[in-house]
Amino acid sequence: MKKVIELKNISKYFAKVIANKDVSFDLHEGEVLALLGENGAGKSTIMKILYGLYHQDEGKILINGEETRIDSPKDAMKYGISMIQQHFSLVEAHTVTENIILGHVKGNIDVNECTNKIKELSDKYGFNLNPNSIIRDLSVGERQKVEILKALFQNTEILIMDEPTAVLTPQEITNLMKFIKDFVKGGNSVVFISHKLNEVMEVADNIVIMRNGELVGNVKKTETDEKKLANLMVGRELNQTPTKSISHVVENENVLDMTNVTCVDRDGIKVLNNLSLTVRKGEIFGIAGVSGNGQQELCEAISGVRELVDGKITLLNEDIGSLSVYERIKAGIGYVPSNRHRDAMISDMTIAENMFLKSSFENKWLAGKLIDKEKLNSYTNNKIRDFSIKAHGPDAKAGGLSGGNQQKVILAREVDNGSKLIVLDQPTRGLDLGAINHVHKSIVRESKNGKGILLVSTELSEIFGLCDRIGVIYQGELQGIYSPDELTPEKVGLLMAGWKEEVR
Amino acid sequence: MINQIKTKFSDPDFKDLVVTNVVAIIAGILISGIMLLLIKINPIEAFSVATASVMSDKYTFAEILVKATPLIFTGLAFAFTYKANLFNIGAQGQFYIGTIVAVAISLSIGDVVPGFIGIIVVMALTIVAGAIYGGLIGLVKAKKGANEFLISMMSTYVAIAFMNFLLRTSLRETRGEYPQTDVIPESMRLPIIWGGTRLHLGFILAVLTAVTLWLILFKTPFGFRVRAVGNNASAAVQAGINSSKTTIITFAISGAMGALAGFLVVNGIQYMVIQGYYAEVGALGIGIAILANGNPIGVIFAALLFGGIQVIGIEMTMRAKTPTSFTYLMLGCVTLFVIISYYFRRVMKINRDKKKLVDGVSK
Repeated sequence: MKKVIELKNISKYFAKVIANKDVSFDLHEGEVLALLGENGAGKSTIMKILYGLYHQDEGKILINGEETRIDSPKDAMKYGISMIQQHFSLVEAHTVTENIILGHVKGNIDVNECTNKIKELSDKYGFNLNPNSIIRDLSVGERQKVEILKALFQNTEILIMDEPTAVLTPQEITNLMKFIKDFVKGGNSVVFISHKLNEVMEVADNIVIMRNGELVGNVKKTETDEKKLANLMVGRELNQTPTKSISHVVENENVLDMTNVTCVDRDGIKVLNNLSLTVRKGEIFGIAGVSGNGQQELCEAISGVRELVDGKITLLNEDIGSLSVYERIKAGIGYVPSNRHRDAMISDMTIAENMFLKSSFENKWLAGKLIDKEKLNSYTNNKIRDFSIKAHGPDAKAGGLSGGNQQKVILAREVDNGSKLIVLDQPTRGLDLGAINHVHKSIVRESKNGKGILLVSTELSEIFGLCDRIGVIYQGELQGIYSPDELTPEKVGLLMAGWKEEVR
Repeated sequence: MINQIKTKFSDPDFKDLVVTNVVAIIAGILISGIMLLLIKINPIEAFSVATASVMSDKYTFAEILVKATPLIFTGLAFAFTYKANLFNIGAQGQFYIGTIVAVAISLSIGDVVPGFIGIIVVMALTIVAGAIYGGLIGLVKAKKGANEFLISMMSTYVAIAFMNFLLRTSLRETRGEYPQTDVIPESMRLPIIWGGTRLHLGFILAVLTAVTLWLILFKTPFGFRVRAVGNNASAAVQAGINSSKTTIITFAISGAMGALAGFLVVNGIQYMVIQGYYAEVGALGIGIAILANGNPIGVIFAALLFGGIQVIGIEMTMRAKTPTSFTYLMLGCVTLFVIISYYFRRVMKINRDKKKLVDGVSK
């Protein structure tokens, strides 16, 4: 098959993160290429580079064998490349036709001709869409079709779709898959960005797997299966087991009790479905799964950022389901979110100020009405020592620390905030071995202090090494709760990929 | 002290701030000076005559502080929300609300209540009015997700319309000639603190307020929350901080600052309200706040700079026959360059961060 696009050693740095490092792969004529990876693996970034939304810092792009510079989506469209973003860019008050021709026609517009052309395109792929409908009256699936038509109207040959199924119903997903297959039959190519294994296996010819901004695999669909992909995607080697906990005592009292918890996202799609679990005093409860399957939502439901649609959450037998985030912090819940830059720290503030972040309503560090800087600094200094944070002092900007040290700052704070329960979401992601070891030791120490620990991780070695019980999450549901001896890596891989035991 | 300054300058952010601002101010003055050449006036001569006059006459010198006084407040009005990553560009309207309330209360209680108490009452009511007027912007922003930029800007037009209405109806001077109010009684005027000049107590009040706001922002839990929401709203929410409430209170404080500027103009300088006066006080406040990078202490110095340019401009008009509009040209140029410098600082910071990362990777 002919190569239409070649990406050669592409790297992209943002001010604070490496989004892509030395990524190379090819796209062929008439193929569906799946770009598989967890959230934040760099899949969207590399495609935004191809689409001209970003420019790479290193590496080059070849189109039909010739080196090409793509500076804007307009450039990209010139080469027949279109990208459908995760969040649609449609004018709600306009019709389908108006949205599709927006910016692509000049002078005297023959709307009827455009409408007919759109109708033809729509019928060709069986979209069953009325070009005169107003966007705000359309369902999410129909809006996606409009986005696709927008691309087809531009005579697109290479269609990039960023997580196209995230917002669709199962029926709509089937239709979309059918469209993709029809579309490539005509010699076109599709890049399908996803973190869902089953969809990738259904639609792709070739699969490129990314992790932490790097390419970790490039395989033919026929030569792989869901389990192998899951392993590649989450970077699974079970060899390096963390400090197996020096036996800590699990008491029979529940710290956290979640019953039939259901949550939805802003589009009304269920992100947690009827989920129940308990964490006991002194227990480390692990949540395994491919990221993006509701882990973050689970943690947010506990921390109080996400509202429950249904179900009940209790902390030490007290209903906390209707408490505010602040009240839950006060009740003794510590939370280390997976996206520490966004959710857990303020980069432009100092370490001391970050320590203070969750205590601004308390009198702990106040002298009169003012913040007692000396007291806060001495507390922070103790934390810097205890957690061996590499920083020149409490006044160092949190944003200037390395990832591992930032995580230690957050951990140091949450260990104190979480006097009853500590929720950790991917606490070791992106850290070096020394920092990982430190995080693991802290987790074990806190569980020994009788706290309940909920540990969400995609690192299976971590889950197996530390946890007393393991729940496997898939699309917002628990596939089952197991003790580590009941599970083999193969079985976890299957459960993570959506397979469910019939009877348990 | 010298060491302290040295360590401050070793922080590249701070160094950029000082360097870019000095360059912007010089560039602004230079560019406006070139304009003078076009109308055949020697800019160097004009500047030196004006500067000499400011230096030798205490009345003129004090005018710098007089002009700076309301500017400190409108600067604070923008700066305080700016630290919460919110934009209050409605200080002009809040200023007019302040003038209306100050003049109305001063006129109605001036002869009844003793001066000292009267002034306190007027000030308190101005603060309340400004806080409500500004707080409304925060309310629609927090509850309905409205764009605070637009709302605060439109609120200025509402305030202007309201002022025009009152100046032609209930607040109109007894002579009924012009759209302006009567003069407030002498007991309601702020005391002059430097004999032979117009410098009034308001300047001290402005400096104290700036210091207080600085204390609130950087030393109190509330100010911490304001900055936390501004720097990273998501992390603040995760930390249990109510960002809507913080937004509303932040806007209320900003509104109160804008209104206080109005109070000081009415009770300190003009003793009356004239239709459409001080029409640029809000816009200048934005330039001042950005020049100070939102730091309340910095606002004092930036306002003094702007006050200085205004006074020098007036002197140039009188002594070097430059057109009146030249003052505004200078202010405009300096403001423009200061705002442009903000963009350069941002680019410099991003490039620095990125370089650090790339160096770290290649190591």
